[in-house]
Amino acid sequence: MKKQILIVGGGTAGTMTANNLANKLMPEINRGEVEITMISDSKIHVYRPGAMYVAFHKAAGHEFIRDQRSLLMLEVDFIVDKAVEINAKSNYVKGKSGTKYNYDYLVLATGCEVAADRIPGLQEGGDWFYSYEGAKKLAKKFAALKKGRVLVTVNFPKTPNIPHQCGIAPVETTMMLHDYLTEKGIRDDIEIIYTYPTKSQAVENGLFLQAPTSDVLPMIFDSINVKHKTSFTLAKVDPKTKTAYSEEGEKMEFDILMSTPPFIAAEVIRKSGLSKALDDEGWLPTDKKTLKVKGLDNVYTLGDTVDLSVSKAGGTIHNQVDVLVDNIAAEMRFGYPTESYDGKVIAIAQMGLQCGMPLWYDYEEDVKPTPCSKLGSFVRLGFNKSLYWAAARGML
Amino acid sequence: MSEVIQTKKSAEMQEIEDKMTMLVQTGRIDNLIDLLAVVSDQIEMTTTPIVEKMVHSIDNIATAGFVTENAVRYAKRESAKNEIPSLFGMLKLLKDEDTRKGLAFMLNLTKGIGKQM
Repeated sequence: MKKQILIVGGGTAGTMTANNLANKLMPEINRGEVEITMISDSKIHVYRPGAMYVAFHKAAGHEFIRDQRSLLMLEVDFIVDKAVEINAKSNYVKGKSGTKYNYDYLVLATGCEVAADRIPGLQEGGDWFYSYEGAKKLAKKFAALKKGRVLVTVNFPKTPNIPHQCGIAPVETTMMLHDYLTEKGIRDDIEIIYTYPTKSQAVENGLFLQAPTSDVLPMIFDSINVKHKTSFTLAKVDPKTKTAYSEEGEKMEFDILMSTPPFIAAEVIRKSGLSKALDDEGWLPTDKKTLKVKGLDNVYTLGDTVDLSVSKAGGTIHNQVDVLVDNIAAEMRFGYPTESYDGKVIAIAQMGLQCGMPLWYDYEEDVKPTPCSKLGSFVRLGFNKSLYWAAARGML
Repeated sequence: MSEVIQTKKSAEMQEIEDKMTMLVQTGRIDNLIDLLAVVSDQIEMTTTPIVEKMVHSIDNIATAGFVTENAVRYAKRESAKNEIPSLFGMLKLLKDEDTRKGLAFMLNLTKGIGKQM
């Protein structure tokens, strides 16, 4: 009887997992012992980090969207269907089409989504670059901006020790905005204010979620005349008067509110009953080493869905995939997982339009700020526009 | 009276000094400095559009490699699984939509090459 591996989700995590599994399990596939199926609610694949370049007119957007089938190895059976139910007792996932997808091993790679409606007024009064529609809207506003104030706010999940999507993105975009306005010649007429909430994962009253970076940010922001404010936890927005109110009792007016909005897990995960996260956020309880969903022996998860403290980003997924794939292959071959995830995250942060900062950290060590460079920026650009697709295909 | 100043060096520092001394004495340090200057110049003179065009070419090569590798693997597996098709079997294969899609692509590819000749 063939073993069925089912992957739910066709984003970075799902696609990398599918292709790396197909590569790893090729002998079993050739012998007709394993079948890999992916279901996704979309036939297209979106590279989400590309959206922030769209916000600053450095990309049109189409460069970061491809046909999902074109990214998958032929050994992966790809079905467009939206997962609506996970039955971990009877080992199946039900699609919106009514089809039941049985599995021996399940990988939940459904990512997370913007939930701006969790802050009153944010949907109407705020903007964000975490989606292409949002980034395009923001780009239009930046193009029309002549003078005034851009307010940056960041929101964290209510569940303790969980980051928002892409931890460094608010810093990256603040610095990109500074460069963009400087390029346009209007930087002196626009005030940029970067704010951070009181509780931000590991840090209290800081400017970043890890202490070493939080400590050096004031100096970096001062050097480019970006004003900064700690302890500003966004509570509500009045879109009419363009005013942001904090839980700490402050208010701040803005012309553009560039916000990192609240994030939640995908609906199918939130409804599955598998999560114990606060406020129905839906993060999956994940074994930090094996990447199994806690309490379920044949269900794995990775990427933005997990409740781990590491960043919800592609540079995390790239490292998690190798562990997860080795563990599923080992379970099939030996009956137990063999690899352990150490929390490694590797990425290059876009610190302004022309500067890239390599960063790496894991469960034990926080990220250490290093000088950014032009070469780093080129590597990041190369990854965005070329190497990412090779990585998604399991070639890197 | 002259004063001798001595600095404490770690074993690693001493090793670096010895190796650098050897490079200076043999004149090879000049080549290395030239090489570093060339690398540095390349970084300075490279622009974002140049990088974009370069990575686009790399992406095209990677995509072509991915498609070809998949197709070869598939063909090998199918060939190993099935007997050599008869003439009728060939026609049956041609009835398959994916075969026709692939064949049409190959013919258009040939046409595209022809247009450039």
